[in-house]
Amino acid sequence: MRLYEYEAKKIFYSNEIKIPKSKMVYSSKDAKKAVQEIGFPVVVKSQTLIGGRGKAGGIKIVDEIKDLEKTVEEILQLEIKGYKANGVLIEEKLNIKQELYCGITIDRTLGKAVIMISSEGGIDIETVANKDPDKIMKFMIDPTEEKFSYEFIEFVKKLDFSGKLLLKISNVVKKLFEIFNNYDCKIAEINPIVITDQNDVICADAVLEIDDSALFRHPNFKKRKLNSMNEREKHFNKKGATYVRLDGNIGLICSGAGLGMATMDLINNYENMSPANFLETGGGITEDLVFDCMELIIEIPDIKGILLNLYGGINPIHEGAKGVARAIKKHNLKIPIVAKALGNRQEETWKILEKSGVVVVKNFETRKAVETLAKILEGESV
Amino acid sequence: MSILVNKNTKVLVQGITGKIGRAQTKYMLDAGTNIVAGVTPGKEGTKVYGIPVYDTVKEAKENHDIDASVLFVPASIARECVIEAAKNKIKLITLITEHTPVHDVMEMKSYIDKSDSLLIGPTTPGIISPGECKIGILPTNMFTPGSVGVISRSGTLSYEVSAILSDNNIGQSTVVGMGADLVAGTNLIDILKLFNSDKNTKLVVLIGEVGGSQEEDAAEYIKNEMNKPVVAYIAGGSAPDGKRMGHAGAIVEGGKGSAESKISHLTSSGVKVVSFLFEIPEVVKKLLQ
Repeated sequence: MRLYEYEAKKIFYSNEIKIPKSKMVYSSKDAKKAVQEIGFPVVVKSQTLIGGRGKAGGIKIVDEIKDLEKTVEEILQLEIKGYKANGVLIEEKLNIKQELYCGITIDRTLGKAVIMISSEGGIDIETVANKDPDKIMKFMIDPTEEKFSYEFIEFVKKLDFSGKLLLKISNVVKKLFEIFNNYDCKIAEINPIVITDQNDVICADAVLEIDDSALFRHPNFKKRKLNSMNEREKHFNKKGATYVRLDGNIGLICSGAGLGMATMDLINNYENMSPANFLETGGGITEDLVFDCMELIIEIPDIKGILLNLYGGINPIHEGAKGVARAIKKHNLKIPIVAKALGNRQEETWKILEKSGVVVVKNFETRKAVETLAKILEGESV
Repeated sequence: MSILVNKNTKVLVQGITGKIGRAQTKYMLDAGTNIVAGVTPGKEGTKVYGIPVYDTVKEAKENHDIDASVLFVPASIARECVIEAAKNKIKLITLITEHTPVHDVMEMKSYIDKSDSLLIGPTTPGIISPGECKIGILPTNMFTPGSVGVISRSGTLSYEVSAILSDNNIGQSTVVGMGADLVAGTNLIDILKLFNSDKNTKLVVLIGEVGGSQEEDAAEYIKNEMNKPVVAYIAGGSAPDGKRMGHAGAIVEGGKGSAESKISHLTSSGVKVVSFLFEIPEVVKKLLQ
């Protein structure tokens, strides 16, 4: 679960990481009030969960009151990669002397936290990473070992800071690492950490992504996540299913991510077929879940056919079949539906599906199922 | 012969009395797995399909020889159940559970790395040496005994590729699901090493997917050490990009992680990479000739 910048900054603030004076607002009227407290110049920042908002025009500096209303309205209306802002953050403009980068994430191979810092922070940090990787220091951290202040000082010292700045920066890194652990983060990042002309160390941006699987330990965020979903999404989420809407015309229900990706590879190989969605159920198949999956897919405009690709290892695929049958009956579905469903209780599953008019492919190869659907769509008999 | 599990492997089931634990115990017994004991705290003295249940791993270990444990436990306690198994010196620990917090996985991996145990998973379908032993949830009817080793990062694709091989009369020595989470207890290289020294495995089929750098690392190992042919498929070449936020992930992966990167690393290490799973049997047959 990704947090908005303002949410992440609240967490920073309560953990004694310095942030700019700022106020979250949802209208230009409130923006005017906010500026009275903060004072010009201010930065108006779109609150979206998508990267690259600066380059997309989602961050603007406003020097005078006459420009404020227009800028705030523009940013509130601005769509970045299809997403509108959830309000804007009005923030004091810092006098920047230097920008640093600090990011903490997980090294997937080692299974350790990795802290990265660089004295060349700012929007081009990935360019720095590509062209001059030595300018980014990396530290691997064993999750079972406590990290002490002196270790963060040793670490930040490699960037050639000394005196009070050294202490201020290493304290920010230490606090960020504590947040990374305490909030079960997959990513905790500050880009940039600003050193001001007064030698203050202030975090101008904040990125936190909490591990969805750990939300049971963070009830407030779990509640916030559930509040942002409709009933069906809640149900999906509870069952651990993943749904992504795509542009194509073939609905897809698969019982695993790998299987889903392999099926998409095959569908994309046909000229007149492409996936309308990516949907993987994980190991949580029930009759209701698959029924919901079906209802979700048939709402997609221009849907031409549906492909089910299920394995019964831990999943009761015969229950899934009942969900398909129920959806077909309720909506009197006429579009072609092809299913490949193998594993435990496969015969029972096939019987339920065939009775509802689903074309069941009993071969092991997903290719055969995709081929069958393609033939039906071209009017051939199968 | 096989790797990790065989007909002599004595298996413990942690979480044996739960709905899934119970159902999967039956499937494992049907597949010929030698399950000797189960653990569910508070359920000592009961039996599941004739298998005695204990409160703790320690007591199960005192009463039985145990080589391997398979876990069907809630995600919220997976960390401590894995550590309990490792503390009791169980050599092979397979965590089937999905949705374990990644910080818990890092912690258990760190613990396991310092022990003599091996952790497969989490979110793994498990391991099967067909005809001998199955640990986990793989649907038994997809697999046949033989001499091709299968390693897969995706659970469902481990079934699909094995079924396709079986359908073409190509049996498997052992099939290992690596687990689909951000962090896995064991990496591809660890399993490749085992297959490399297993004299009954003649060829390895590797099913990778986009994300992480395990396939790139594996390619390096294959180039330098592997003495048998490897055939690979990478899922997700046409998958949409995930929504990105933050730079940290990209910096860590340093350009690795895409299907293109994995395919080019593997190909230049002498691995035959196919575009679709159905191409695998033909390639395998040719290489085994």
